Amino acid sequence: MGPKSRRLSFILMIMMLLGISVALVLAALKDNIVYFYSPTELLMKEPPMGQRLRVGGLVKQGSYLLENDGITSRFVITDKKSEVTATHKGVLPDLFREGQGVVGEGHFNKNKIFEAEKVLAKHDENYMPPEVAEALRKNGVWKGSKKP
Amino acid sequence: MIRAFKSTIHRELILLYRRGSDLCLTVIFFLLVAILFPLALGPDQGLLAQIGPGVIWVSALLSSMLTIDRIFYADFEDGSLEQFVLSTHPFGIFVFAKLSAHWLTSGLPILIFSPVIGIFYSIPLASYPVLILSIALGTPALSLIGGVSAALSLGARRGGVLLPLLALPLLVPVLIFGTAATNAAILGTPVTPSLLLLGAVLAATLAVAPPITTITIKQAIN
Amino acid sequence: MRGLQNNALKISLTHPSFGSKSDKISRTQNNDMFNFLANPARFSRLSSKMKPWVGCLTLCFLLFGLWFALLSSPADYQQGDTVRIMYVHVPCAWMAMFAFLFLSTFSIIGLIWRHPLAHVIAQSAAPIGACFTLLCLITGSLWGKPMWGTWWVWDARLTSVLILFFLYLGVITLHKAFDDPVRCEKSAAILAIFGLINLPVIKFSVDWWNTLHQPASVIKMSGPSIHFSMLTPLFLVAVSFICFFFYVLLIRIESILASKRLETLHRQCGRRAQ
Repeated sequence: MGPKSRRLSFILMIMMLLGISVALVLAALKDNIVYFYSPTELLMKEPPMGQRLRVGGLVKQGSYLLENDGITSRFVITDKKSEVTATHKGVLPDLFREGQGVVGEGHFNKNKIFEAEKVLAKHDENYMPPEVAEALRKNGVWKGSKKP
Repeated sequence: MIRAFKSTIHRELILLYRRGSDLCLTVIFFLLVAILFPLALGPDQGLLAQIGPGVIWVSALLSSMLTIDRIFYADFEDGSLEQFVLSTHPFGIFVFAKLSAHWLTSGLPILIFSPVIGIFYSIPLASYPVLILSIALGTPALSLIGGVSAALSLGARRGGVLLPLLALPLLVPVLIFGTAATNAAILGTPVTPSLLLLGAVLAATLAVAPPITTITIKQAIN
Repeated sequence: MRGLQNNALKISLTHPSFGSKSDKISRTQNNDMFNFLANPARFSRLSSKMKPWVGCLTLCFLLFGLWFALLSSPADYQQGDTVRIMYVHVPCAWMAMFAFLFLSTFSIIGLIWRHPLAHVIAQSAAPIGACFTLLCLITGSLWGKPMWGTWWVWDARLTSVLILFFLYLGVITLHKAFDDPVRCEKSAAILAIFGLINLPVIKFSVDWWNTLHQPASVIKMSGPSIHFSMLTPLFLVAVSFICFFFYVLLIRIESILASKRLETLHRQCGRRAQ
């Protein structure tokens, strides 16, 4: 093999490897790597009690209530198909509202209630002043959540 | 060309064998780091099973970085690296052979001894194939990326500090996907995405790292 | 031709009196922009003329931007006044990525065309980019605590930006790691080009993975999902940051050129003394 054809074969090899790499990434992205599970996925999977995991979804409208001890809050995480009841001891983040996205990190107890040790609020990519949000809602263009 | 590749690997292995301690050092360091964690955190089985994959991967990463600075440095010092550049065979072959030899002497022992650590951390037996497969895919990438950083810091004033600073950020994807695959196997969630991504990282580094290492060493010598 | 040109450039960088003599040498070459800036003395003259203008632009845009961002723009329908952190955080994040792209581009130019100024520009851009990345991480953390309920999460976006920060540190360290300045430049350039892989990961991490960080709002297929009144200050601040980047860049390039000149002077004096 001359140096020229050798160089060509090297370049071909590199291209091939890069192609394989891209193909593998695309294949991997087909099934999403999850930062959290949705309630539907959890019901199908039935995780063992006490295993640490993250649940993500919307807080169901009208499901939030503060328990008598004053620090434990109880709410329902939903993905509009299935629901998971969750509890959390402590302060909730500012953006925690009914109808907004939330990610809880914790485990299921024996009553199939999700005990979240940590609650993270996920906010959407829409930014607008309150009047605009109100106007959009009135016209039925957009169905966002209201501030409680 | 293949003969040059083989004889370089042969040379590296003989050199390492004659020096003797290096091979044991990698394995001992790997085991020691992994054993330190339970001593520090206490013998809680649940906790250990949870951190097990992460610990195995961090120890594998650290112990394979332990010897990476030596793959080019000795030859750079005594001038044999220049001889490799001047030889009739393409220099990339020697670089690739040296990187392969590094994997044979660090990645392979880690691969063999990782189940032992798995036992220490009570990782369920069913997830061993994934653990071993992920380490088999990940450690060559560690050697290849480590090779780039070793070449970049060749002859630097504070090479010892520089090498980890360059290598560790580049190694993060391997660490993340490797740990994710093993963790997924333990938790029973799908392992294929992480393994595929690990394979993608390996293929990409296999394509990119040896040429970059070759160019870097060449400009270091001139 | 190439060799001759390179020689002329080398002289112009190393020659202690690089005003007059090297000027003549370079003037014999073709006079396009690329070669024009190769002469450090000429570059310094140009940059000292440009500097006050760029500085003024920075100040104007920043004042306007801040007035819009802090006073005139409305509070968000969900986040209230906390949304104002966005006007610093998002431009910082853009600048962090832009600076790395800038740095890698000039590294490529420096490696392939061997333009003598390219590596100096790359070297000057690295610390500025690192500062923007650090600011982005800090403001993000300050925004994350009230909004998400945590200072830090190890999700794809945050982790990849942290890696970007370490890449900057690596490039900065490599610029000072060797005795031979040419080795410094080339090693840092190679790392900068290798680090380019990280940029698409940062950009698309929010779409590829199910992360806590919200998806893209400004640059996306269906048009921005930020209201006009909030987009204005965002862009004003972003433009002022870009101007600021170039302002500091010019200062840094000049100081690096000056220190290089000082070094050659020292060397020459030492030789003369012997």
